[in-house]
Amino acid sequence: MSSAVRTQHDLIARFEAAARSAAATVERVSATAGALASAVERIAQGRIAIAEPLDLPGELFTDLYRLPGIVTARSKAELAACDVGITDAFAAIARTGSVCVTIDHAYSGALSLLARLHIAVVAADTLVERPAEVFDPNRFGGKGLTRNFVFITGPSATADMGPLVRGVHGPHKLHVIILE
Amino acid sequence: MLKAIRMALDIESPAVRHNTQTFNSGRYEAVAVIPDYNALKDRARAIKEDAIARLPQLLAQVEASVKRNGGYFFLAKDGNEASRYITQVCREHEVRLLVKGKSMTSEEVHLNHHLEEAGIEVAETDLAEFILQIADEQPSHVVGPAIHYSRERITALFKRKFQTDSPLDTGEELTRFAREILRQKFLNADAGVSGANFVTADTGSIVLVESEGNIRLTSYVPPLHIAIAGIEKVLPSRRDLAIFLELLAPSSTGQGLTAYTSVFTPPLSAAPVLSDRPDAKREFHLVLIDNGRMRMREDAVLHEALYCIRCAACLNSCANFQTVGGHAFGGETYSGGIGGSWEAGTKDLLKARFNELCTGCTRCVNQCPVRIDIPWLNSNLRERINEIDAKASGGFLQKALSVEADDKATVPKLFFGRYDLFGKWGSRLAPLSNWMNELPGSRAMMERIAGVDQRRQLPPFAATTLVQAARKLSAPKATAHRGRIALFPDIFTNYGSPDRGIEAIEVLRAVGIDVVLTEVSADGRASLSQGLIQTAKKQAQKTSEILLKYIREGREIVVIEPSALAMFRLDNRHFLDRNTFEEIREHSFEAVEYLWRMLQERNLDASDFFPASNHPLGTRLFYHSHCQQKTISAAEPTEALLRAAGFDVVTSSVECCGMAGSFGYKKDYYELSMAVGGDLFAQVRAAETDGPRTLVATGISCQEQLHAGFKRKVFHPMELLKDFLTS
Repeated sequence: MSSAVRTQHDLIARFEAAARSAAATVERVSATAGALASAVERIAQGRIAIAEPLDLPGELFTDLYRLPGIVTARSKAELAACDVGITDAFAAIARTGSVCVTIDHAYSGALSLLARLHIAVVAADTLVERPAEVFDPNRFGGKGLTRNFVFITGPSATADMGPLVRGVHGPHKLHVIILE
Repeated sequence: MLKAIRMALDIESPAVRHNTQTFNSGRYEAVAVIPDYNALKDRARAIKEDAIARLPQLLAQVEASVKRNGGYFFLAKDGNEASRYITQVCREHEVRLLVKGKSMTSEEVHLNHHLEEAGIEVAETDLAEFILQIADEQPSHVVGPAIHYSRERITALFKRKFQTDSPLDTGEELTRFAREILRQKFLNADAGVSGANFVTADTGSIVLVESEGNIRLTSYVPPLHIAIAGIEKVLPSRRDLAIFLELLAPSSTGQGLTAYTSVFTPPLSAAPVLSDRPDAKREFHLVLIDNGRMRMREDAVLHEALYCIRCAACLNSCANFQTVGGHAFGGETYSGGIGGSWEAGTKDLLKARFNELCTGCTRCVNQCPVRIDIPWLNSNLRERINEIDAKASGGFLQKALSVEADDKATVPKLFFGRYDLFGKWGSRLAPLSNWMNELPGSRAMMERIAGVDQRRQLPPFAATTLVQAARKLSAPKATAHRGRIALFPDIFTNYGSPDRGIEAIEVLRAVGIDVVLTEVSADGRASLSQGLIQTAKKQAQKTSEILLKYIREGREIVVIEPSALAMFRLDNRHFLDRNTFEEIREHSFEAVEYLWRMLQERNLDASDFFPASNHPLGTRLFYHSHCQQKTISAAEPTEALLRAAGFDVVTSSVECCGMAGSFGYKKDYYELSMAVGGDLFAQVRAAETDGPRTLVATGISCQEQLHAGFKRKVFHPMELLKDFLTS
């Protein structure tokens, strides 16, 4: 293995550990439309709404639309009634286990927030070590300085009701799919 | 104050303790994995200093950016103006239901009250704020406003207020119940009001940090979004977020990042409005509030508070705050160590009286991500309040004491702040002074006049001071070839506890150190802690002249009492010129620290000098280091030396013992002090389940506190080491 590949593997491993400790689930999937669709099919049940990817190639998502339960209507009521929201992410942070999801593209803001399960799909080569790198003008084509986005780290959570509870106003589950 | 403390101790203490201590230990873990943590803090500090210095210019830039983005900008000079503006915008949009994310600034300006008077329903959506809205209570913590509520108390509250049969006996059930109510509010709301953790001037972006998702819903679902924040939240550039986002969550909740950290430039014009009305479009208003902040900016001391990023690390790392929370240790809106400056700055100086609960233990100082010297701010608030109080009282005794004082203050403040005077006369007159202290009625008198709690025994004055006793020591047997020091006889050791000083001299001489004593001089600690700042400054300057003389003779300064050493290493930066401060700082050591350093530099084995297995008290120790000693990194050497000598050492992990110098002696604070001590006592008991341990503490007041808890002798480390010399 070259050192670049080793570093990449190490980043992914640390991302997985950090994301899991924030109660997200993570899996690595090969970067094909078919592999992604079967990965989603294994965990997504009910009404599924998909935000067109902004940073991943659109063809990777094509097979997803053939899954049962796909909802295409976008009224407030339809969005609120979805069980699963699928978006892409333009970066992932190894230290914190976070993904960076754009919120003003194709209802990505609603789909990453209103459903019980959010599935975020991110390319392995967009993993970086720390949050600061997202604000580096030389990384990600400067997206971190211009995009409207959210660092998502695990499902929504609260400690306000006494013990730590996962699943509050936002998703109860976050599943991150890393495309390799 | 006493009433608020008692109420907090009775009801809120267990939940506050659990929650703050969980945050606090999480913070230690989270910052430990940031390799450049200290460099980040330096950069954050520099950015905030620059931003506050250029604030008027940055505000103009924010305004231009927000308008360029298609948003509206309003700079409110006070809370009323802000509330009126927001209410007016809501009226124009015919808002009936408004959802709200947690915003301390909106609490500061009583926004809900204004909106409700205008007939608008306000739904607090942060679960903590939801609880407080139902209970009609004030927040007790800037990050977790309802941390004073245990799960059981929330269950009882919900059952009472909602008259429901739903099961509400777990955190999950309570959360589900609230979520169902609030989900409907989100979907039907006409407007959302959030705060903003940061606003970036160059782009007009805002940052919203949260975990529940309610702030994302608030700022995204309704077509109208209004963000309200203090003007100090403005950062020059969106690139600055690289620094602040890496510090905020670790310092606050102990997470790398919270579940959601939104970074966006409103209005979100590209995101379709979730509305069934076809004409609906997104609208954004940024309301920044002055409300005293520009005045704080001009204040030589309080401007530092404007650097605060509201992480609450100073609350969570504070032993007093951990024990009573923000209802006792807080004002109307802001609480904890930093809260006094905010209440004074945005409201009124006398609303900051609760800053008395800051003991100056300094445990928050290294935890602040923007390096605010919070105890210093509180000493200054105290100085200002002292003046007002002194004018209002002004009895005979106060006038008599004030003759020698440079500061105006009441008798209890002068008593605790001028131990140098009381100590000098107490020792000269001992045993008469001690006998008087023992007289029936004298404790009651001390309580009434000086505020000393009857249940505490002030340390007796030594009839022979350290300086006098040191003169009588026989000539050292060992040759002095391993270092030259000047021992500083701090006033507490000199007048109150000379034995540990003598023991230190004997141990140091026995290992080959040349020891002389400096002149006696008040270091300024006692005065500083009572807000007698002018006195403290004079004392610090006089002491520095004495110390420099010895340093320039090639001697290192060795100090017994950690609070005095903390003056030399930390607080004197406020009183001395930079070069003098640095020179003294570099050459000052705690006694055991100096000893350990000498052993290490010379590759000497501590167990050759102090073989623990020969110690008459055995090898099992419990060591509690002093709060300020920890802050200035002077605690580890004692632990290291004792372990290297072969002792089995269990150390305390509490931030402070609760005595905190003079704090625990005061009648209003005795109960709080003992409650704080409870954590330390529990750790001792846990360490002694398999047999007793010798109690060891470096600070004189920590020794008092441990003695109060266990009624047995507490040793200074030097006292322990001295036993090896005779065996």
